Amino acid sequence: MKNFLTLSVTSFVFSTVLWVLWHFVDTHVLFLAGKGGFFYLPHAARVLCVVYFGYRAIPALYLGELVGPYVLDPGIYSFSLFIPSLISVMSVPFALTMLNSLGFTLGQTRSSPLNRRNYKHILLITFISAGFNALLVNLYMSRNNLSFPNAITDIEQVYRFFVGDFLGTVFVFIFLAMLLIPVLRQARN
Amino acid sequence: MKEFYKNIGDALAMLDGLEQDLNIRHLTPNELKVFYTIIIRAAYNEHGSNITDIVENSGMSRSTVYKTLKKLSTEGIIQLHQSEEDGRESLVVLNS
Repeated sequence: MKNFLTLSVTSFVFSTVLWVLWHFVDTHVLFLAGKGGFFYLPHAARVLCVVYFGYRAIPALYLGELVGPYVLDPGIYSFSLFIPSLISVMSVPFALTMLNSLGFTLGQTRSSPLNRRNYKHILLITFISAGFNALLVNLYMSRNNLSFPNAITDIEQVYRFFVGDFLGTVFVFIFLAMLLIPVLRQARN
Repeated sequence: MKEFYKNIGDALAMLDGLEQDLNIRHLTPNELKVFYTIIIRAAYNEHGSNITDIVENSGMSRSTVYKTLKKLSTEGIIQLHQSEEDGRESLVVLNS
């Protein structure tokens, strides 16, 4: 129970912080304003939390997905995000299930077909989950005639979602690697 | 809690591998700023970013950016190519 609470709080805070950071850059940083679709940082929280904490992180991630647009900056979207957010969070389990069904089970040793200590394998999960997210969320939106402000739900948006989720996750990985690893190495010495 | 720390340990091991392969741990804050700007610009132009773009988007002086790009190029992190459209312009490409 204590472990569940710890991982839930970590997942929720991580997802919310990334959303706030992404929203700030998308609205305030001059040369990137309005281009946030090309570097959607919160996808990194979905990938990292589901891969390392397992499916138990899903409720906290889902809550984190909803807090930004409903509590921190309400009214930025004109439609309900309950289903699209759920699809987005579930895109990582979908990717893991697909890889598992192809024989690539997630493990933590060198012999694991999908090693969670190898960043290339995590990038593969990110790539596939970004594809699921892009296709399924836009499919849902187009079936229900929904669209983001100043945008059309079309194939270009599918591409933007896919590129944005992948690039955003890569940025977060590089940022964390550069921020955390030198600090930990220094602390160890 | 033990399981939580083990999971975090695995995540850090993954990030450690990424950091080692990127080989950017020794970069100064200015070099990091230029490096990040190149990554962001790469999202807009797959053939490489021109130096003027990097100067404008990094908020640093032209001479600092030139000096930094030279160091990144010497370290093998980026490559500088001459633009086919404008021979006077160099394009910056990330090394894979």
